[in-house]
Amino acid sequence: MENTKENKLPQGTRKLGVMDHIRIIRDKPMFPLIFPLTVLILIIAGFGIATEGGFFRKTVLMGVFNQALIIATVSTAMTFVFAAGNMDISVGSAMAFSAVAGVYAYNATGSVFFMVVVCLVIGVVLMSFNGFIHAMFGVRTIIISIVMMQLYSAIVSLILGPDTVSIDYGLCRQLENAGFRNISFILFFVFCMILFHSTSVGRKLKFVGGNARCAQQTGIQYKNTVLISFAVAGLGVGLSAVFSIIRTSTVGTTLGAGMGMDVMLAVVLGGMSIFGGSRSNAYAGLLGAVTVSALNKGLLMCDVSPMLIQGVRGIVFLILVFLNSERPATLPSAQD
Amino acid sequence: MSTEHEILVQVKDMCKNFGVTIALNHVDIDIRRGQILGLIGENGSGKSTVSSIIAGIQPPTSGSMTYKGHPWSPATALEAARGGIGMIVQEAGTIGSISVAENIFLGNYEPFKTGPIINKKKMVAEARKALDKIGVEDIDPSLPAGLYDMQDRKLIEIAKVMYHEPELIIVDETTTALSQKGRDLLYKLIHDGAQKGKAVVFISHDLEELMEHCDKMTVLRDGVIIDSFPREQFDPEDIKRKMVGREISGQYYRVDEDGYSSQVVLKADCITTMSSLLCFSMELHKGEILGIGGISSCGMHELGRALYGLEDVVDGKVVLMKDEKVITGAKSAFDNGMGYVSKNRDTESLELNASIEANIQSTGYKKNRLFGPFISPAKEKSYAARQIETLAIKCINGRQKVKAMSGGNKQKVVFGKWIADDADILILDCPTRGVDVGVKASMYQLIYKMKQQGKSIVMISEEMPELIGMSDRILIMKDGRINGEFFRKDGYQQHELIECMI
Ligand SMILES: Nc1ncnc2c1ncn2[C@@H]1O[C@H](COP(=O)(O)OP(=O)(O)OP(=O)(O)O)[C@@H](O)[C@H]1O
Ligand SMILES: [Mg+2]
Repeated sequence: MENTKENKLPQGTRKLGVMDHIRIIRDKPMFPLIFPLTVLILIIAGFGIATEGGFFRKTVLMGVFNQALIIATVSTAMTFVFAAGNMDISVGSAMAFSAVAGVYAYNATGSVFFMVVVCLVIGVVLMSFNGFIHAMFGVRTIIISIVMMQLYSAIVSLILGPDTVSIDYGLCRQLENAGFRNISFILFFVFCMILFHSTSVGRKLKFVGGNARCAQQTGIQYKNTVLISFAVAGLGVGLSAVFSIIRTSTVGTTLGAGMGMDVMLAVVLGGMSIFGGSRSNAYAGLLGAVTVSALNKGLLMCDVSPMLIQGVRGIVFLILVFLNSERPATLPSAQD
Repeated sequence: MSTEHEILVQVKDMCKNFGVTIALNHVDIDIRRGQILGLIGENGSGKSTVSSIIAGIQPPTSGSMTYKGHPWSPATALEAARGGIGMIVQEAGTIGSISVAENIFLGNYEPFKTGPIINKKKMVAEARKALDKIGVEDIDPSLPAGLYDMQDRKLIEIAKVMYHEPELIIVDETTTALSQKGRDLLYKLIHDGAQKGKAVVFISHDLEELMEHCDKMTVLRDGVIIDSFPREQFDPEDIKRKMVGREISGQYYRVDEDGYSSQVVLKADCITTMSSLLCFSMELHKGEILGIGGISSCGMHELGRALYGLEDVVDGKVVLMKDEKVITGAKSAFDNGMGYVSKNRDTESLELNASIEANIQSTGYKKNRLFGPFISPAKEKSYAARQIETLAIKCINGRQKVKAMSGGNKQKVVFGKWIADDADILILDCPTRGVDVGVKASMYQLIYKMKQQGKSIVMISEEMPELIGMSDRILIMKDGRINGEFFRKDGYQQHELIECMI
């Protein structure tokens, strides 16, 4: 209790604690941009050195970009779900499910358009189903998604067995190079940005994530709002299924494994709180996705075992969640 | 006795800054044994800040404290509580999802532990003792705190603080959360404490209450101690003047005798709720301020919730007369031009982590559209800015988080979002909780202005003067029924109203 050192400091110069500094930095308006950029640059530079430049080969960078695009699609859509204080880790298996359906649809009709529609519809249906169960029965979304993840991948394995399904490789390269993929992504991203930031959808989601009871009293219905967020997430899942088909032209049972984790990692790397609320936005997942796929690729190139990669990602995730979240224990939330 | 006035806690030259906000500016306070010290000042004057520093909730920016003659700088509230300083905080301080007993011993489970296992039974028994000690019998410590209403949860907090038998008891704006019974209990606790040579710091915006119970009063303004008065020198006009730094003139309550239209806008038609209302009927007229009073458990808070569709109405209905619309939930109430200010500010009326702007804007998603579903940032900005200005909300700017505001200013934000909404029917449950006299006056003016614009207001309140001062008509409730109806035009007799309550 003999703590008089603070008196000796002139007024206004109390030494700030580490957490104070973190909070000050985090609340700066530019933080959501600067933070992910800094992490990304550090990671790329780090792997550049570790692989003696190997990381900068065109094929490697293209690989990183291709994977990042898929993660970014899902995580941009998933920010809607996170904003309201919900979580879903079944996105990977839902994506695999709709990719399988898409491939069958293409092979049956030969129509790319039909394939895309099937992917999107299945994505929206599956994710909306998750959201619907939550809205109906009030079970926590994370629990539902764990069950659904098993269910969706079981169905995929049932359909595929040990095989894979594929579509014409040439068509895929064509779609990739014709800019179809990049343009679709940009359109989707812009759509999400507008929906989140320029209509009431994003505001309501943030509000629900911050204080569901208060939101209710201003006429915001939790169930409807959350259903919309899952529908948007479904669109992202469906679109990323299309991108996955284009990328590999083959769909197997391992597609989408680890996606749930990648998405959460991308979102927190983007400086958003995984618990949603007022600090949510629709762009957190974009740069974070590049960082995550660089991290995945880099660790692989450095011969880090996949098990260890999982571990590293887990640790990074926990640290970021700790730094980014500020959920007061005394407040009611969507999860209550 | 000389020990009676021995200094227990001394605050010396204390400053506290939050970024650019100076909450405390070289404050000196002596807190003496056997004395009830009243702290009074406008919203945001620093009352909660200085007392929470004493109670170890936050550190000062500079300055020092002594406690029992030794330097005092508690690192946590628990450390302060163990040392003998307990604070009943202004905001809600219980966690709904854990039991009452766990709330009382939060972070202090060691005495009940054998190894890693907590002996729940022992803890509940001890919690029972803590509650008995303050004379509360009807709270079951083994149940989750969330089952109890705000008043009971405040009593749980009081039990928690009193359990440690504090030498210094700090009561921060607690009485407004309590009904008369709870208040009497608290008054008794602090007087008993003072009698036994303990010290009390009592914060309230109710000057009369302070004048009645305090031995000394200290006035804070903008983080500076303006003056202190011993009991003999209490002069309400002088204290008010010192608080706001200027003469308060004009009328506090309305003085008119304006009537209201005979047109009914909202009707409760024999509504029955799960907990307290049984076939309850009432009508609200256009341009009417309808006061609803009673003791806390009379069902008036449930009535407010039921009118706004927040309580399950199992029988009967709440109808908006304009187009015979039946209120089925908060959404239909909101969409049809109703607004509701909850009694539970922090848990129901505000998103604490969001900014002032975002909170006010939450009622205006439809109104602030540019075209189609698209929201105009410019419209939104001015939607919030107008309220910050009219209500003189004390903040750095509109982007400040609500949780970093003083209690009264938070209440202004809540009020602001509904004024901005321009609702036709407002249900106000204890709307002036924790706001200072100046702000209260401007809120009353705003309520009166709304009435003049033909809006209808239901004002549920535990403050008798407020009901009498503002209402066109007062319904006194008892046990979920209307026990009496009084009209402004007949003149109100306070004793009649009170008799009607009990
Ligand atoms: N955590 C915080 N961050 C930033 N500013 C703060 C914080 N807490 C308090 N303040 C500011 O410090 C000032 C003093 O606040 P304080 O809560 O002590 O006022 P108060 O006298 O208790 O008012 P009230 O009567 O409204 O409760 C206010 O201007 C408030 O906005
Ligand atoms: Mg206060």
